[in-house]
Amino acid sequence: MSTSDGAPAQAQVDQAIDWLVKLRFDSPSPRTERQFQQWLASHPHNPKAWQRVSNLSDELAGLPKALSRSTLDASQRQRSSRRDHLKLLALLAAGGSLGWAAREPLGLPQLLADSSTATGERRQLHGSDGSRIQLNTDSAIDLRYSAEQRQLELLRGEVSLDSNANDNRPFRIDTRVGTLSTRDGQLLLRENDKGLLLAVRGGEVTLFPASAHARLLHAGETLQVQANGNLQAVSLHSDPWGWTDGVLSVQQMPLGEFTAELSRYRPGLLRCADDVANLKVSGTYQLADTEQILQLLARSLPVRVDYRTRYWVSIGAA
Amino acid sequence: MQTTDTLKPTEVALLYQSHHAWLSGWLRSRVGCHEHAADLAQDTFVRLLRARQASPLKEPRAYLSAIARGLMIDQFRRRALERAYHESLALLPEAEVPSEEHRLVILDTLERLDRALHTLKPRTRQAFLLAQIDGLSITQIAVQLDVARATIERDLAKALGVCYRLRYVDL
Repeated sequence: MSTSDGAPAQAQVDQAIDWLVKLRFDSPSPRTERQFQQWLASHPHNPKAWQRVSNLSDELAGLPKALSRSTLDASQRQRSSRRDHLKLLALLAAGGSLGWAAREPLGLPQLLADSSTATGERRQLHGSDGSRIQLNTDSAIDLRYSAEQRQLELLRGEVSLDSNANDNRPFRIDTRVGTLSTRDGQLLLRENDKGLLLAVRGGEVTLFPASAHARLLHAGETLQVQANGNLQAVSLHSDPWGWTDGVLSVQQMPLGEFTAELSRYRPGLLRCADDVANLKVSGTYQLADTEQILQLLARSLPVRVDYRTRYWVSIGAA
Repeated sequence: MQTTDTLKPTEVALLYQSHHAWLSGWLRSRVGCHEHAADLAQDTFVRLLRARQASPLKEPRAYLSAIARGLMIDQFRRRALERAYHESLALLPEAEVPSEEHRLVILDTLERLDRALHTLKPRTRQAFLLAQIDGLSITQIAVQLDVARATIERDLAKALGVCYRLRYVDL
């Protein structure tokens, strides 16, 4: 291939790339470096090819690590997985209107999710491998099985997984902050504003954070995984597994936090005034009836519950 | 740029006259927005000017709609990446947030990288990110992914080849 505008030909580019791999990602011997210098001088187009290839690599190497990793990982998840991609193509091919602008707020991946729950809804799924999966309120997952692996992708919200250990395929779980792998794990994943809350009740789970080292987790561990992959110990005022039994079970939880927790299960606004936000709540409450929980609060604490409308409720000092 | 195997500008002009209205309508029925469809139709013809395609076109409408479909999918991906980028920026500690200008440069580079990664097999993608972003050596990557060094070398060369084309050839 000959070029007229000074762009190096493909052969020169390929050679330059091979040299770059040797020189930049390996520790080259003096001999390799001498050979590289000879190559550089052996063709008038080689220096140009080298310059372009090494500029390209410099550009990529100059990307901020954490930011790039989390962007690329999130983008991979957010937009079509391979299968969603096929659905997207099918949509385009079918000739129906995609209504791009109208669908934007929801996002294509969520529309294409295998399973999702609305606010206040919980759902139990039985995987074809014998695993048990539960979705909490306002959550979405994708589930797929292949000959090599079982795979769950948490698209939104909270999910618990009891992986059937009798199935030999590894179970892979993709989340916003990284990937997990297990065979026999009983675990819970909850997206929150800091990243992901991760609790393991049984089996062994390996966590591969987006930008940190892999870490083996054992039964009884509860951790907060931050968006940058760092792990943080957490002390919770509640049993993270409560919802899987339909309850909110708390110990000395500040009312402000309790209100935030409760509002996940209710459509509309639920607010707590600052001057009562530090009152402590303990007990086990049935999630099926959040109205009743509010009435119980008003009876057991010095607070009153005001209904501006059915979907705008505020808790303040009595 | 090879001038011998692209369509002649006069030919593109003729295609534009015969099919632009049809293409705009085709796009409008898909994206549901008049202006958006007009932009995409314009972009389709710009892409056509650069396409390596010897003349004449046998099935011009099929070819135009194929380009337009590609553009719609690119746009969907670009939005997903932009959204992911802004979310990631929001989570960054104040001190690590790049300047406005630098932010755009990074986004531009990430967008190309994201497109390149999408065409690669998972292991190739993983090896490339470990090398380019995380700065690991071939030996370290070979151990981590449990494959031969030569395989990693091939993976890196392949990924760089794709990045090169996106950066310098298929603009």
